[in-house]
Amino acid sequence: MGYDSTMSNTTEDSNQGIDKQHLASHIKNLVDKYQLVPEFLKVRGLVKQHLDSFNYFVRTEIKKIVRANQEIRSTLDPNIYLRYRDVHIGEPSMVFDAVTEKLSPQKCRLSDRTYAAPIYVTIDYTTGSHGQTSVSTKKNVIIGRMPIMLRSSCCVLYGKDEDELARLGECPLDPGGYFVIKGTEKVILIQEQLSKNRIIIDTDKKGSVQASVTSSTEKTKSKTIIKMEKEKVYLELNMFKTKVPIMVVMKAMGMESDQEVVQMIGRDPRFSALLLPSIEECADLKLYTQQQALEFLESDKMLKMPSYSTGPIEKGARALSILRDIFLANVPVHQHNFRKKCIYVAVMMRRMMEAILNKDAMDDKDYVGNKRLELSGQLLSLLFEDLFKTMNDEARRTIDTLLARPSRSSRLDISQYIIKDSITMGLERTLSTGNWDVKRFRMHRKGMTQVVARLSYIGSLGHMTKISPQFEKSRKVSGPRALQPSQFGMLCPCDTPEGEACGLVKNLALMTHVTTDEDERPIMSLCYCLGVEDLEQLSPEELHMPTSYLITLNGLILGKHKSPQRFANAMRRLRRAGKVGEFVSIFVNEKQRCVYIASDGGRVCRPLVIADKGVSRIKEHHMSELRDGVRDFDSFLKDGLIEYLDVNEENNTLIALYEKEATPETTHIEIEPFTILGVCAGLIPYPHHNQSPRNTYQCAMGKQAMGNIAYNQLNRMDGLLYLLVYPQRPLLTTRTIELVGYDKLGAGQNATVAVMSYSGYDIEDAIVMNKSSLDRGFGRCIVMKKYSAICQKYENGTSDRIIKPQRQGPEADRMQILDDDGMAAPGETIRNHDIYINKESPTVTRTPVTSPMGLPDSAYKSSKQTYKGPEGETAVVDRVALYSDRNNNLSIKFMIRHTRRPELGDKFSSRHGQKGVCGTIVQQEDFPFSERGICPDLIMNPHGFPSRMTVGKMIELLGSKAGVSCGRFHYGSAFGEPSGHADTVDAISETLVKHGFSYNGKDFIYSGITGMPLQAYIFMGPIYYQKLKHMVVDKMHARGSGPRVMMTRQPTEGRSRNGGLRVGEMERDCLIAYGASMLIYERLMISSDPFEVQVCRKCGLLGYYNYKLKTGICSMCKNGENISTMKLPYACKLLFQELQSMNIVPRLKLAEA
Amino acid sequence: MEGASYQRFPKIKIREVKDDFMKFELRDTDASIANALRRIMIAEVPTIAIDLVEIEVNSSVLNDEFISHRLGLVPLTSERAMSMRFSRDCDACDGDGQCEYCSVEFYLRVKCLSDQTLDVTSKDLLSSDHTVVPVDYSDASSSFDNTPNKGIIIVKLRRGQELRLRAIARKGIGKDHAKWSPAATVTFMYEPEIYINEDMMESLSLEEKTELVESSPTKVFGIDPENKQVIVVDPEAYTYDDEVLKKAEAMGKPGVVEIHAREDSFIFTVETTGAVKASQLVLNAIEVLKQKLDAVRLSDDTVEADDQFGELGAHMRGG
Repeated sequence: MGYDSTMSNTTEDSNQGIDKQHLASHIKNLVDKYQLVPEFLKVRGLVKQHLDSFNYFVRTEIKKIVRANQEIRSTLDPNIYLRYRDVHIGEPSMVFDAVTEKLSPQKCRLSDRTYAAPIYVTIDYTTGSHGQTSVSTKKNVIIGRMPIMLRSSCCVLYGKDEDELARLGECPLDPGGYFVIKGTEKVILIQEQLSKNRIIIDTDKKGSVQASVTSSTEKTKSKTIIKMEKEKVYLELNMFKTKVPIMVVMKAMGMESDQEVVQMIGRDPRFSALLLPSIEECADLKLYTQQQALEFLESDKMLKMPSYSTGPIEKGARALSILRDIFLANVPVHQHNFRKKCIYVAVMMRRMMEAILNKDAMDDKDYVGNKRLELSGQLLSLLFEDLFKTMNDEARRTIDTLLARPSRSSRLDISQYIIKDSITMGLERTLSTGNWDVKRFRMHRKGMTQVVARLSYIGSLGHMTKISPQFEKSRKVSGPRALQPSQFGMLCPCDTPEGEACGLVKNLALMTHVTTDEDERPIMSLCYCLGVEDLEQLSPEELHMPTSYLITLNGLILGKHKSPQRFANAMRRLRRAGKVGEFVSIFVNEKQRCVYIASDGGRVCRPLVIADKGVSRIKEHHMSELRDGVRDFDSFLKDGLIEYLDVNEENNTLIALYEKEATPETTHIEIEPFTILGVCAGLIPYPHHNQSPRNTYQCAMGKQAMGNIAYNQLNRMDGLLYLLVYPQRPLLTTRTIELVGYDKLGAGQNATVAVMSYSGYDIEDAIVMNKSSLDRGFGRCIVMKKYSAICQKYENGTSDRIIKPQRQGPEADRMQILDDDGMAAPGETIRNHDIYINKESPTVTRTPVTSPMGLPDSAYKSSKQTYKGPEGETAVVDRVALYSDRNNNLSIKFMIRHTRRPELGDKFSSRHGQKGVCGTIVQQEDFPFSERGICPDLIMNPHGFPSRMTVGKMIELLGSKAGVSCGRFHYGSAFGEPSGHADTVDAISETLVKHGFSYNGKDFIYSGITGMPLQAYIFMGPIYYQKLKHMVVDKMHARGSGPRVMMTRQPTEGRSRNGGLRVGEMERDCLIAYGASMLIYERLMISSDPFEVQVCRKCGLLGYYNYKLKTGICSMCKNGENISTMKLPYACKLLFQELQSMNIVPRLKLAEA
Repeated sequence: MEGASYQRFPKIKIREVKDDFMKFELRDTDASIANALRRIMIAEVPTIAIDLVEIEVNSSVLNDEFISHRLGLVPLTSERAMSMRFSRDCDACDGDGQCEYCSVEFYLRVKCLSDQTLDVTSKDLLSSDHTVVPVDYSDASSSFDNTPNKGIIIVKLRRGQELRLRAIARKGIGKDHAKWSPAATVTFMYEPEIYINEDMMESLSLEEKTELVESSPTKVFGIDPENKQVIVVDPEAYTYDDEVLKKAEAMGKPGVVEIHAREDSFIFTVETTGAVKASQLVLNAIEVLKQKLDAVRLSDDTVEADDQFGELGAHMRGG
């Protein structure tokens, strides 16, 4: 936005945000297109891909599904039927005691309900049976409840302004895009997959080249592989037991002439030579006609499933149906016309052979253009379709059994047999477990949904843009993990986790859009209008003419075109004019001599400014119209100034970063370079000055930073909530920070940092903190934890009860904080072992009792719930919420709050992947000070810089220092220097000098201990520091004696069970090597599980101690004569007994020690 | 203990005194004394601050600890603090620190009844002792500001929200908690001595002179408009940044300007939170320093002194 360094209007700058007036004052002659980014985000939103996908499902897809399965017709009596006519989704509501109650997301979150809306259908159905049927119509029949994505078109929050959202208890900055299932927020992660219905050329494990197509239609999903093995071409399809020679398949599809096949592949002699062995093989099998080939395919050695069909069907029909419906299912076959499929196979073979001859023609599986992102809408539609079909089948079956029954009393009403619970429950279960089980497609995927991360605002935003891979994570290949050049602008290059999922889990960039399906029929007819020659009219010879290109729409070959470039241009012109959908991509692949048109869902694309001969179509007046509010992003799109490009089409473009760099060949201009980063990486100031892994580390850490979570954070009842007491917005901001609202819901504080060594407690990235700063509230945080209790109702009519606390007696001390209603009172300090709810449960819950509501006190047993917190910490009951849950039980939630000030060992981090723990806390008077009286909040050791190379952090310090001096927030957007979205070091230094600081940010400092000046100038200034959720109080653990595990009698494991600290194998090895045998003896037995056993010296078995006779007795020898007493680890005794139980006798041989 | 005497007679020259600001020169002493004074001002001059809060009703958006923390940081006028007792040393009350000798009681009772947001400020704190009240920041000199000064905002209330509490203020020192620190800024600098080598300076052209003058980020030097001589405008603006010296060296004229820090004189800047007057803060600090030295001296023949001061104790006894 073109700040000039003179800062003409610094006063205006203080009220940042997107000040349109202010923006207007700075426009230079080069058109500043930054304003398009906020405009884009306004239209599309940060999680628009989820919302679009869900909206598409709810508006279009669900109607398609219902239409495709619109009829339930009895198999016994075809006159009895039910037909769905229309489907729509109502307002989110629930039925409670037969009263329909409207739902809001916040209400659902608080009362553990599902935010779902009824699915209404209109049905025509018959009543009566056996010829006496009459048709009636019912409107608004509910067939189930659909969980509703927040902020989607079905949601009550849709189109609401900030006030209305606040009234509904919703945070206006919350992006939506998730579901509320049983009170928990669930996101369906974006799933990354290989494209469907496209030919992919790659190699298999053995290294042989193959062409594979994963076909996916509404009816079937299949995978077809054509591969070259031992110089012959085979088909692999899982319907066949073995690989099938390709020529047999061609013959079975009616291509009886070998010559035609060769022509179809192309007359290049090299291709014919490659095909020859396959033709010979087919001839060897003596298969010449279609019928012969089909019969061969149907033989037992080929076909996997034996024909279990009842009657003798026509020979070859089964093979034919496999070839028609499963083999390359995406290529439609009309009236047994296999020609298109033959051509498709020929094209596959041709591409495969090209790859054999020239390895460059191989497809890259990791190329983003070959990937599709599956979003919640698509996943839900899969699930809904399955559930809907199951429900219909169930209804049909019930009706059939009813019809089969000889006598019925009432009139048969088919509409009664639609069980709406199956859809409701199925959707709810799948969304809450995340396990997608669709049997028809053999789909069993786990972990598709996750609970929305609510640790920080950025964390939850980042969660919505997360893309989870389909590959298993254990594979040791580097290819899929590497950064792909084609990810540019689509997927964030920084934001990926460390460790096993590194590079596999990705995140969307700021301006990425994911397409939804679009009807291909209009595009198809348009293509034919623009001169595409239909395949049907072409002879095989004409297919691969050197002058023509094949035209492919969504993987389906439409035909060929003589001048592909003209065709592509025409199509693009139509798209820019809005005649075809804006997300349709036209990609001319010169190498494959193909034009690929794609309108399918799941492609990633991004907006770019169109340029004609290197001149941007966006002119100054367009931008001023935008600022005046006359234009919006969509009008830019409509007027053909901007277009969406997907990864494939980007290959046909030459994109300039800035208009000034454009050459006459340039076709597009980037909107803003910082949009290549995602939400999490967008928080980093000057990321382009940092070493790349540091940005990745920060992306992971920003999600753990404490701060504000949402405007409604105090009205939420999250399980665990970390809040900062005084969160601040960063002094050094970026454009992304403003766009996503991080300046409103910050997660950190601007700390004055001195980069110097101090006290020696700052080694290994530890930081030294100023005690007075902590006293004044730096790093102070609130931790809230939820404890819940349910007042259960039981099947015999009894229920739990909450009773008045005892004010006297042994328990009274632990019941201090209870109110008279038996629940902890808000505002009370709760200590360890305090009772927070005085609940009692009936002893008999199953068998019927006489008066379930009036049981005597003796029929109840206490089921008080006690608070288990760390000793010495003063926690407070923050809130108590009562509500009735879905089963109409009284539920009580307690929020326990604890305010913490930073202490030794708490973890902090700057925004540059520089984490460190608090090493020591020092009094302010001991801290160094400058002659201005500035005293740092924390001291960071300079050794953190050389190896990390986080230059961005240094510039942040400089920029923040200049920012506080001059009163203007400075910017550090990625790659922002040329466009003015990042202040340059030169300009910053100038500001610093103007305010009396050294240009290099260093200050002359006195030691607080001696009062003498320090030997060096100290680099000092504000840096935005995040407090991370890892705090010492949650982790520290020590134990003397304590609980033991029942079975082995060894100390328990883990901090939560107050477990012991294990001396492991390696520690033991050290002690053995050292020879500290008594220490080993103590650690491994005395302090662990000593046990006294009676051993029989004669038989070597363990005996027992008879307390009456006061002797040990061997139960084997039946006497106590040869008994010795010794100590053994209990685990050892247990082992002996376990061995004995499986018929192995361990005997001890005792010797004098 | 005979021999060379290190006794000196430090002098203080006050340059500027306002209620909460003071600038003075401390001469004829060394860094240890200057620093001791600074440290005491920050950490050991007692003030009064709210230390215990009993919340009766709090329906505001901020939680109890949050409000208590904010209340604690409100500066209270603490002229009485020097004569008050620490509640831990108070024998009038049995250690609960709630008697009139060691504590001051405050009440805060606010409820918002209007539709507008109500700011609860330090002015709403009602003190039981008129000498200990929240510091009034309204500046009499700024008559033009028409917005009524409302003090330090503690919390904002919307309609129906209420805050009722009782707070106990006690005496304390900044070492225990920063809320008891009377100092906002206490800092000192060595007084710089700047020599301009006139002869060498003459060899510079006017452009070079301006360049030299402008190389300093702070306005230390200037050019006399009459005779175009480089003069020292404000030596204390010098931040020991060496920029001028570096520039002189770069110009090939090392020694044209020489700057030394006078190691026996310091320029102090004291700013207070308003709890005590800046001048009083310095006096109190000296008082505390004296008390501390007395404590050392008085305990010279006790055995504890050896434990407490070790070698120093023996040294003072003349050993």
